[in-house]
This record gives sequence, structure tokens and C-alpha cells, in this order.
Amino acid sequence: MKKKNVITGILATTLAMTALVGCSSSSSSTDSQGSPSSNEKFTLRVGGWSSSPEEQKMLDTQIAGFKATHPNIDVKFEPVVGDYLQKLQPMIASKTEPDIFYLDANVAPDFMDKGVIEPIDDLAQKHNVNFGDYEDAALKAFQWNGKTYGLPKDYNTLALFYNKEMFDKAGITAPPKNWDELRADAQKLTKDGVTGFSISAELPRYQPFLVQAGGSVYADGKATLNNPANATALDFIYRDMMVKDKIAAYPKTLGVDWSGDAFANQKAAMVVEGSWLIPHMAQKAPNVKYGIAELPVKDGGKPSNMIFTVAYALSKNSKHKDDAMDLMAYLTGTEGQKVTVEGGLALPTLKAMGKEYATKYPEREAFVKGASYALPFQYGVVGTKLTDAANKAAEAIVLGAKPDGKSALDEAQSKL
Amino acid sequence: MRNRGDLATGYLFVLPVVVSLAVFLIGPIFYALYISFHHFSFLAPDHATWAGLGNYTKLFHDPRFLRALGNTSLYSLGVVPIQIAIALMLALIVDSKIKGKTFFRVVYFLPTVTSTVAVSVMFMYLFKNDGLVNLLLGKLGIPTFDWFNSLTFALPSVMGMAIWTTVGQFMVIYLAGLQDIPQELYEAAEVDGATPWQRLRFITWPMLKPTTFFILIMSIIGCFQVFDQMYVVSKGEGGPQDRTLSVVFYLYRSAFKDFDMGYASAMAFVLFLIILILTVIQRKFFQEETH
Repeated sequence: MKKKNVITGILATTLAMTALVGCSSSSSSTDSQGSPSSNEKFTLRVGGWSSSPEEQKMLDTQIAGFKATHPNIDVKFEPVVGDYLQKLQPMIASKTEPDIFYLDANVAPDFMDKGVIEPIDDLAQKHNVNFGDYEDAALKAFQWNGKTYGLPKDYNTLALFYNKEMFDKAGITAPPKNWDELRADAQKLTKDGVTGFSISAELPRYQPFLVQAGGSVYADGKATLNNPANATALDFIYRDMMVKDKIAAYPKTLGVDWSGDAFANQKAAMVVEGSWLIPHMAQKAPNVKYGIAELPVKDGGKPSNMIFTVAYALSKNSKHKDDAMDLMAYLTGTEGQKVTVEGGLALPTLKAMGKEYATKYPEREAFVKGASYALPFQYGVVGTKLTDAANKAAEAIVLGAKPDGKSALDEAQSKL
Repeated sequence: MRNRGDLATGYLFVLPVVVSLAVFLIGPIFYALYISFHHFSFLAPDHATWAGLGNYTKLFHDPRFLRALGNTSLYSLGVVPIQIAIALMLALIVDSKIKGKTFFRVVYFLPTVTSTVAVSVMFMYLFKNDGLVNLLLGKLGIPTFDWFNSLTFALPSVMGMAIWTTVGQFMVIYLAGLQDIPQELYEAAEVDGATPWQRLRFITWPMLKPTTFFILIMSIIGCFQVFDQMYVVSKGEGGPQDRTLSVVFYLYRSAFKDFDMGYASAMAFVLFLIILILTVIQRKFFQEETH
């Protein structure tokens, strides 16, 4: 016992000393500010979250690729477990945030508006990054008042996933193209404990339908939830299909957390989700045969979709902005995005790589097509409150607290 | 006999605690008070602007805050009395001469040492729409509900869960209180021919008054600070329709989701005042009763 204690003591001391040495070396490298070609060794910190081992492996590969060409730079990924924003904010307040970090488009306006991240326009030019190479909708999400604040690393759009076996049994030959077909198909598919259609009561799922019907939730810096055209989509999905016909359900009614699980458990025949559902299906329900189609469009309406994207943002307090820019450019550049395409968890943001993705996964073209008419999931600085209110509006209809879309949306708007 | 050396040693011993309390508790509290009078965001702490009482007046016009306050009050009103009643009952049972006392004591105390999050997740599985509870109710022909997702039952479900989790802790405190009551009192009462109910009513209950007071205060403070259960059950949203949004939960959302730390701090101080006032009232009430 005694001996063990001594060893632990020595270990602890050694650790503490390494930590001290680590600190001092990183602080001495501050002198090299602005000289990217310096041979001194230093560490770049990357902040983000890790939603799956697959995603982690992709990032590890990307980082290894960067390190191979930059032997003097050590890149350390610091994943946040739990609430990302909760951890990131105090780090920013105390100026200890990582050199580059993930930033979701939905919360980006708050960060850009308050000027807490570094605009990268000049640095990007210096490092030969061409903004025109990126998908417009994805990049636009990180531009504010004429400045660019991040390079989108990947993105996702929505599509209709349908269970092929259930379609065959119900005698349906093709996925629904419009709202009427969606409703008719859901009717046919609802039987034997299966619900035809499942969609969560959330703005980032129902917004495409709302825009198809001529509505909008955000315009000219203001929330427009009470736009009269908005009610049509909510009435159709949540009032008519869910409450009245009971041919659609939101995930909680089916006893699952999200519609992807309802689809994997074969409790729902059709769901609206992003390409993140593909690895989930491969893992949870490898035997379910399914297809992916573009979202059904309202008769006479224009197709619409949403783009969900995350960028690397550059810390204002980084001691190595030039090298951090290099790292960002690498991670979101051709080399880095090749890994994204291989991994297949999300779509690459480089237009050129998008084509590669489409050839590699022809069955997923609905996502690529969707991007061409997608709106970013982003509503200025009112984003979190608007999304929250809009989610509650849909939920109010499902739970019977509000009779229709108009009354639910009017109340939601009044809360903002 | 005290000399300077002893004094210095004494202070040296308390120094770590004093310093850590000052740095990690007292300091932040005063800073939070300062923040609560400002428009303050963690994203731009250098650009905080003076808000005066703005954050405080805004609170009482904010329907979501009033809803959160209502939820919290309702929650406390439901949880506190039931919790105390059950805790006392369990303590009396465990204190009596039954077989397997230790076993029951452990069983009742077990939920308390289990993490709230684990308990919440377990309850979510039990009470979900196609969960075990609904299965049993359905077999018995009793109507089933989507408990945590129903406007009517979401809050009561969380209340039930909280009672189940915390009752063991208060049971143990009551148990200590019960064992402090001198046996002579009961013997004397028995000689006088008091029934078991009379013994409980006129000996146990009055003798437990300080314990009850302590439990009452702890229970109310705990209830007004409820957060984890509601956070887990509603996946961080406070839904359905803000039915499981407590004051601390809304505070958390304002601070970290709406980037409004000043407003959140104001909420914290209003909550502090509420708890303080409740405690003072109870103190008065109990002192009058005992004297």
C-alpha cells in the first residue's frame, strides 16, 4: 500500500511538472505572433462537439493530414461534452476560447453581431481561400454586415425518407410529390401499428412546407410568424394530418425522441430528416430498406428546403491567427472535405466536392438538389427566441392547446 | 489559554475554505448582483450597459417568467407537504420494531443517492407513451396518457418523480429526530394509558417540530431551485408549452440560450428574495408555536 502511494505521488508530481512545462512553452510561443513560418513548436486548439465516433474519426483524419504538412504545429481537438454554448460563452468571456471552434449557423448572428469572433476576409485572401468555392447558402450564413466570419465545414438539408417495404405492401409505387399525395399515401400506410408520416413539431422541419405555401418566418430583420400564408402549412401537417386524420404523428406520441428513431423502429413509414439519419439507420436498422426523395411540394408552390451548417470560426484572442486560418482553410478545403465525402455523415460545402458526393452516393441526390433551393436555418439575433416560439406553436396544435395554425402563430408572434 | 501562535494556526487552517468561498461563492454572488443591473452578455462582457432596475421590472411583464414562477410555486405546493408526510410515515415505519428494518432503510434511501439525471431518464422510459406504466394501466383498463408530454400531467409527473427521489433523504433526518425523543416520555404516556395515536399526536409530532422545521425549509429551498429533472424530462426545452419550465430553468435558458446574463442574474436575485421571505415567515411561525 505504502509503495503504491509513493508511485502515485511521483506520477502526480511528474504530471504537474509536465503541465507546467506545457504552459510555459505555450506562453513563450506568444512572441512568435504574426510569423507563421517560424519553426518554433506550438499548439492550435480546435473547439467543437463530437456527436459520434464516426464524426470523431473523420476529424482525427483531417487533423492528421494537416499535421503531416505542418510539423511544427500540434493541433488539439477539445470536444465539449454537454451544452456547447454554455461552455463556450465563459471561455469567450475569459478570452480562453480555442483558436478555431465550431459555430452553428443558428447562433452565429449573436456572435457576429457582438463582434466576438474575428472577421476573416483579409486573412482568407492572404491564404488563397476563395469564398466563391463554397456553397452560397452555407457561406452566407456566416456573413454579417459585409464581413465573413467563418468557413462552413459541412452542411445538411432535409429530405423525405420512406420505407420501401411498407410502400410495396400498400401498393404505392413512387414517393409522394405533392401535399395531396403525401396525405393519401400516409392514409394508406397507417395500419398495423404503423403511422404513415412522422415529423417533429419544430420549425427546422416544417419551415420548408411553410415557405412552399408562400409563407416566411423572418424577413428584414424581423420575425414574421403571423404572416397569413404561414398558417396553411401548420394546418395541413399538424391539424389535419396529425390531429384530425391521425395519419401522422410527432415523435413523442410514438414513444421516441426524434422521427429518425420512429423510422428505424418501423413505427413510421415516412419521415422528414437530414442525411444524419443515414448512419443512424445503418447502425440501428441495417435491414430496413428505404428510399430518399425530395420533399413533397404544395401544388402551385415553389420547392423549398433548409440548410443546416456549422463553420469554423476564428477566435479574436488567438495568438496564431495566420496558422489558425491555414488550419481552417485545410479542414474546409479540398483535402479536408475529401474526408467529409468519404465519411458520408454530412455534405461537403465546396461546390466541387458536392459533385463528387453526388456521384459517390447517387441515392442521396435529394439532399444535394435540396441545397439549391434551401434557406439557411438562421434568423438573425432573434433566432433562438423565434425558433422556440415557432416550435411551441406547432406543438400547441398537436396537444390541442390551439385549434389551428393562425391562432397558434399569432400567439407565438406576440411573445417575440 | 490562547496565544498568538495558536490564533495564527487557527486562521491558517480556515484559510483555504475562506479563500475558496470568497473566490468561488461570495465574489461571484456580488458580481451577479452587479450584472443584474446591466444589459450584460457573456459574448460581449466589455460592452455591458447600465440597465438600472430594467431587468427587474421586465421580469414582471414577462409572461414566460410568470409562467415559470407559477410552475415552480405549484410544484412546491404539491411536493413539500406530500414529501414531508411520506418521509415521516416511512421514518415511523422504519423506526418501529419490524423485521428487515435495515433493508427498508436502504431501499428508501437508495433513490436519494441515485443521480437525478439517471432517475429522470428511467422515469421517462417508464412513463413514455408506449412505456411500462401505460402498458400496466392499459391492462387494468385505466385510461393512459403521454405523461411527460401532456399539458395536464407533465408537471404532476415531475412532482411525483421528485417526491420519490428525495423522500429518503428526509426520512433519514426524521429518523434521527425520532431517535432523539427520550423513551421516558413514551413510557410515561403508556402508564397514563395513551393510545398509539395519542402518543404520535402529543409526543412524537411536537418533539419533532425542530426537525420538521428544518425539513420544511430544506424542502422548499430545494423545490424552488428545481432544475435537473425538468431539464432532462423536457430535453432542455421546458415543454410541453412551458409546462415544465421552472424559474431556474428559465434563468439558465436566458443566460446561455438567449445570451442575456443580466436578465438571468436579476431572476436569480428575485428567486433568492422569494426563498428568503418564505424562510423568514416560517421561522416566525415556528418560533411562535414553540414558545
